[in-house]
Amino acid sequence: MKTIFGYIGRALITFLQELSSIYYLFLETVAQSIVLFTDRKKLRQARLLEHIDEIGARSLLLVLAVSVLLGIALTVLVSFQLKELGALSYIPGFVAVAVFREMGPLITALIIAGRVGAAFTARIGTMKVSEEILALETMAINPVRFLVVHRFIGLIVSLPALTILADFTALIGGFLFGSLRLGIPADTYLRETLDVLMFKDLYSGIVKAVVYSVVIVMVGCYRGLAVDGGAEDVGRSTMLSVVSSTLAIIVFDTVMTAAFYG
Amino acid sequence: MLTVRDIKKYYGSHKVLDGVSLRVEQKKITYIFGTSGGGKSTLLKILIGALRPDSGEVCFGDTVLTGLADRQLDPFRKRIGMLFQHGALLNSMTVGENVALPISEHTTLDDSIIKIMVKMKLDLVGLRDFEDLYPGQISGGMQKRVALARALALDPEVVFFDEPTSGLDPIVASVITKLIADLNRLLGITCVVVTHAVEEAMKIADKIVILYMGKVLAEGSPQEIRASTDPVVQQFITGSPDGPISFHATSKDYREDLLVG
Repeated sequence: MKTIFGYIGRALITFLQELSSIYYLFLETVAQSIVLFTDRKKLRQARLLEHIDEIGARSLLLVLAVSVLLGIALTVLVSFQLKELGALSYIPGFVAVAVFREMGPLITALIIAGRVGAAFTARIGTMKVSEEILALETMAINPVRFLVVHRFIGLIVSLPALTILADFTALIGGFLFGSLRLGIPADTYLRETLDVLMFKDLYSGIVKAVVYSVVIVMVGCYRGLAVDGGAEDVGRSTMLSVVSSTLAIIVFDTVMTAAFYG
Repeated sequence: MLTVRDIKKYYGSHKVLDGVSLRVEQKKITYIFGTSGGGKSTLLKILIGALRPDSGEVCFGDTVLTGLADRQLDPFRKRIGMLFQHGALLNSMTVGENVALPISEHTTLDDSIIKIMVKMKLDLVGLRDFEDLYPGQISGGMQKRVALARALALDPEVVFFDEPTSGLDPIVASVITKLIADLNRLLGITCVVVTHAVEEAMKIADKIVILYMGKVLAEGSPQEIRASTDPVVQQFITGSPDGPISFHATSKDYREDLLVG
């Protein structure tokens, strides 16, 4: 029994310590982002557009492919029940609400956590192992400004944009299935969708995406910077990065959905 | 120039440095020897401010480095250069960008001037034509030379070298040793070298410090070290397998260890 409590206690302390480290990393990142925007030369050197391209544009196809399938799957699921009730006209509204309020932001964030967050950890962790980060510090170059800030800005711009695109692509998926397979007239589908959707549905998704991008960058970069050992620790940290950012995204999702619509 | 006073450092309960004191003279080459795991790299990390000692202090001129917060160390860091054992070049940047990095970060110089400076620094290590290659495309010896060019980018007063010749063929090793000597004689740069390579040290060092079991065992000029009658010092400089330094890194009795477990 004592061992169990000891284990839980230690795990809790480690968790709180990591949480506090991530919080300080976040504060430092915000401070260094401000520094970057006040220095034109460093801003040019940071090549932010390249990073937005690397993080966002290169994930676009994957996100769009998943979203269109998500839209179809949601429509199939809902139609199964609503057809019985003869209430097919509720499908567009239901799919639109589910996508904009919940599934679009969540699925996009989970894809990016797996694709981009894991890459952040692996990249920074490998740099830690090969003493590149120590070399930066020895050259009086702030590793957070050099390694975290452009990823932070890149993702904060990319993820909301990807989320909006994913939302509309999922709607198109639903629309295609609804009109071609279920026979809902195109104009009815569009009207029903627009009737139900509110501006709040769109901006709540954007707010969520901003929060998720902070989570993904902070967890991914923190795990990379915390690598202490060799290749094995890089692998372990990358796995932990995906697991913890996925968990954190779902926790934040629940809290924010409750706050917006609860 | 650099004074170390009574440095102690523990990793858990393992004592790595046990009261190390030494002085690095300005414009001289100081070599630090020691057995593997003898605390050399830890001492070097403490000297460059990457690691904090548990007690004792490191002074650079009149500044006590060990009392400074991480960010306050930056002015000191801009005055030093460090050559890491494996180079520690940034793999995502070309050779030229690596050398340019400290210059573009800490000066307001125009890109065209930085480009000229990079060429000059690379020429110093004989690699002017390799500017556009990535570290992964050049050999380990070349990477070390590029790392040296980067360490020299801001014209430092002191350059620290961590095992500068380990893993290199004898010719590249002597090229690096000659580079260290040239930096010191021609440019007046203070050099602190941590190494196992006794012979190269004997050739160019002004001062040798031998670390043994976390303490300074001996220090002095190469002649003084060679003339030492201490059997441990003699074993160090001759590299003899027989002597007071045991090959076995355990203090337990062998028979007891096998039978009792």
